[in-house]
Amino acid sequence: MSSQPMQQATAEAGGRTPVGTLNVVDPHPLNWLYITWNTMEEPVRTDERGHMVGAVMEESRWVDERTIEIIVRRGIRFQDGEECNAHSVKRAFEEMQRWRAPHPPGSNLNIHPETMAEIVDDYKLRINFPELEGLVLGKMRGMHIPSTRFWEEIGFGYKKLGTGEGHW
Amino acid sequence: MRAEPFACTWLDTRQDRTDRVVLTANTDHWNKERGPRLERVVFRNDIPPSEALDLVCDTESEVDILTEISPADAERVQNSEHARLYAIDAMRVILGIINHGVEDAPVGDARTRRALNMAVDRDGLVREGFGGYAYPAAGVTPPYAVGGLSNLEPYPHDPDEAKRLLQEAGWPEGRALRLATLADLEGVANMFAEDLRNSLGIEVDVSVIPNEELLAAQHVLVEKVMPLPFDVLVFAWIDLTSDAPAAFMHGELYGETGPFRAGPPIERFEELMSEFATEVDAGRQGELSAEIDRFVYDEALSVFLVYPQALYAVNRHVNFVGYATTFELAETEVSEEHWSRKNGS
Repeated sequence: MSSQPMQQATAEAGGRTPVGTLNVVDPHPLNWLYITWNTMEEPVRTDERGHMVGAVMEESRWVDERTIEIIVRRGIRFQDGEECNAHSVKRAFEEMQRWRAPHPPGSNLNIHPETMAEIVDDYKLRINFPELEGLVLGKMRGMHIPSTRFWEEIGFGYKKLGTGEGHW
Repeated sequence: MRAEPFACTWLDTRQDRTDRVVLTANTDHWNKERGPRLERVVFRNDIPPSEALDLVCDTESEVDILTEISPADAERVQNSEHARLYAIDAMRVILGIINHGVEDAPVGDARTRRALNMAVDRDGLVREGFGGYAYPAAGVTPPYAVGGLSNLEPYPHDPDEAKRLLQEAGWPEGRALRLATLADLEGVANMFAEDLRNSLGIEVDVSVIPNEELLAAQHVLVEKVMPLPFDVLVFAWIDLTSDAPAAFMHGELYGETGPFRAGPPIERFEELMSEFATEVDAGRQGELSAEIDRFVYDEALSVFLVYPQALYAVNRHVNFVGYATTFELAETEVSEEHWSRKNGS
């Protein structure tokens, strides 16, 4: 299978110091999603023109027609200091798969319930699909990757509502 | 894959926003080239949009960015003392969802669908309804997206041909067309209805779905058990990326598992989507996405209206980076003249 490297966003050492405060009024009904994308890690994100760019996922390739291998970028830490690695991605995937319809925009973002994620090493995992799934990278726009503490204390609707259905 | 697509557990159950949501910069973020460049972002849910418009235009320090500016307010922002208008080409479309399952009129007939498309004066809609801040729509995919067909022209505004096609399809004498809309698209719907009346010579009954009935209307549309109370629904949709619009736009609108499909599944569309959904090469996916949009356009599966731009009012000391598919602020920064830097906030 051919390699499918994502567009790279390079991390440079010694960046700028954040300054200033911005007050925003955003009445858009997807404000909850925008805040999530502003604060959480994810496998992929989009650039200003909407093209997918690798985020936690440094690179991906199809090992065979039903298995995608994900290389996790090194050096990522969550806000609470925990390292983000392949185990974080696997945990996020499995949490998402617990629900019938986790995504508020609808179930067409669902990944087949028999899909399995396996760890290869601390920065590499493979996702095995029971059937061909060419749209998985786009679907990963809905797969957020928080730290262990988030899963244990808050979750997507877990603590407040007792369910993750429709609250990813 | 069957994932109980019509189990509407994902429909919004309406939760109130907290008054303020404060985001603080993660200075340990790995992508330092990108950001964050702001120390703090405060989402002010305690200010109504109408009041926020006054604040961003006429004052400083209360509101720096107001999203979802109406085209009717664009000039005010541009002429204001403190704000500038940003117009972003966005992955958005406004169209008329055609109910292909209507039984007492040939709403789903291909001739009717093309007639409806030819009845619309899109240039007038862009000019009068959007102040120029939109593009006339051809298919579903904006031309600036991957898979967007730059050579796809919007259906011509041709009232004579539209009327001829509608008559050929056998539109019943005296039968009014039922046009439904959400409250925030009422203006668009009224302009669309006027075009239909003038071009086709038929009555058009416009019904506005009030916000308090929105959830019930969503259930009817998505679950496909109860009959739909419209012939055409004016509808706004988006995409989360611009790389393969057919996945989140066309699939949702026309697919067998699409929540917004109004009528029976379409065999040829399903064939195309199946090929698209199982293609792992990004380049070939883009080609297939374009082919799907071409099919949808040729068959006039919807009434394609406009691709609206996303409009923002932004304080003049903010260097805003707008996104086509989201609202993210990692690259946005404030100049030294910004109130929060002058005050040391």
